[in-house]
Amino acid sequence: MSTEMIDRDTGTELESTSIRRWVRWRGPIGALVLFALILGVWTYAVESGAVHRVILPPPGEVLEAFIATLGEGFFYGHLWVTLQEVLLGFAIGVILGFSLGALLGTSALTREISLPYIVAFQGLPKIVLAPVFITAFGFGMTSKVMMAVAISFFPLLINTMSGLMTVDPEAIKLMQSLTASKRDILLKLSVMHALPSIFAGVKTSLTLALVGAIVGEFVGARSGLGFLLAAYSYQLKVGRVWAITIILALIGILLYVAIEYAERKLVFWSSKREAQVAM
Amino acid sequence: MTQTLIHTRDVSKVFGAGDDRVVALEGISLEIEAGEIVSLLGASGCGKSTFLTILAGLLDPTAGIVRVEGAHPRPRREVGLMFQRSLLFPWRTVAENVLLPAEIMDLPRQEMRERAEDLLALVGLAGWGRRYPSELSGGMQQRVALARVLLPDPDILLLDEPFGALDEMTRESLDLELARIAQLTGKTVVLVTHSVYEAVMVSDRVFVFTSRPGRVAGIVDVPFPRPRELSASGTAEFADRVSQVRQFMETSL
Repeated sequence: MSTEMIDRDTGTELESTSIRRWVRWRGPIGALVLFALILGVWTYAVESGAVHRVILPPPGEVLEAFIATLGEGFFYGHLWVTLQEVLLGFAIGVILGFSLGALLGTSALTREISLPYIVAFQGLPKIVLAPVFITAFGFGMTSKVMMAVAISFFPLLINTMSGLMTVDPEAIKLMQSLTASKRDILLKLSVMHALPSIFAGVKTSLTLALVGAIVGEFVGARSGLGFLLAAYSYQLKVGRVWAITIILALIGILLYVAIEYAERKLVFWSSKREAQVAM
Repeated sequence: MTQTLIHTRDVSKVFGAGDDRVVALEGISLEIEAGEIVSLLGASGCGKSTFLTILAGLLDPTAGIVRVEGAHPRPRREVGLMFQRSLLFPWRTVAENVLLPAEIMDLPRQEMRERAEDLLALVGLAGWGRRYPSELSGGMQQRVALARVLLPDPDILLLDEPFGALDEMTRESLDLELARIAQLTGKTVVLVTHSVYEAVMVSDRVFVFTSRPGRVAGIVDVPFPRPRELSASGTAEFADRVSQVRQFMETSL
């Protein structure tokens, strides 16, 4: 019985191997069909004139621009600048967000004092800080790193804080009955309990760090992919614009997958993970 | 040879103040001897869990005197507390969960590791040490919690409805196992329960608690020899004790 596959939708046992094979492959096949469909609609929309070529060139042209971009040496200079900004901003943002979140999650007094400011900062669209940071830190990498930090530390702060605050009071009682110190309770219980929530925050922070760096580059920079994208846009090199866009998406996906992998190794017990596996 | 391990006099506990004032416990005076298994029996919200928390040293009474092994209670190695939920940490293996008290109390590692293995065997989970709690049934998880509370070799076990969330068949067998282990290791056990049957089955004495405020309505001696068998519950003497307990419960309503 256990070797039989169960169809999740209908709950019926599937006996024929061809049907089993179909169940296994229908997801990937469907995704490929959908991709072909999108390319078809895209091509049709451009060729029929419904969408202007200056806004969206046909797929072939984007592919050409993509390959051309990867073949140029200066592209890698810009890529490296953006990667540094994102990773440095993300790292600082994570350390800052975790530390502040840990402080607020463990001390009710600090929480009460800073809550109004947290709410205010949460409501602020952090992108408006970009011009200020450019003025303060110049056109170089520093202002973009700061931007990435400002926009990415917040979700981690909130998730760390709420993770630490939702520890089971009875588990704390258990630890106390075992003569645990506050430090024991924090390290052996609270932080471990908060880890799934912290990782969810880290994933959001990573995406936002990329947004922060790119926005910073849009507003004022001499290098980086955001700068390159804006430059191509002014020159109406639309194929190149889309090529850079795709590259930025790939960077985002790659970093996300890396974090996801780390999460699977470190937070192996979390059931939340299962809901996210279907990517 | 009997020695009083737990002694309380006129213990009361009041929560809140003014209109929200709730008297959880009032005038609890009792003595528990070394090696005894006693039950604190009562309806939900009668303060029996509060009383256990006071004995564990996690909560101070509003008034009255509490002595556990001659001193004011505080969390320490000699007293173990177990809850209705297993409270196993899902990021630790079964063995690592059992070893948690050793880590916190800084007990010798190698010795404790061997002891954890022995205890897992004692509760019928030999060979399960490397599994994670999520792979275990509810009854098995409570067995792990039992092994964990036994690890530092406490003199006193304070058990707050330890098998209350389990199905009746699992609970009955775990009750007898608990009594067997307590006798084997010479523990003094205070068991909080709302099951008349469970209380009479495992304990030497049953303290019947009233509700709001929590008071001791009466004490029923259960002088059957230990270890007991499930079949003991079919005897006339057993039925007699159960009805004594029920009478106290009814008069307390």
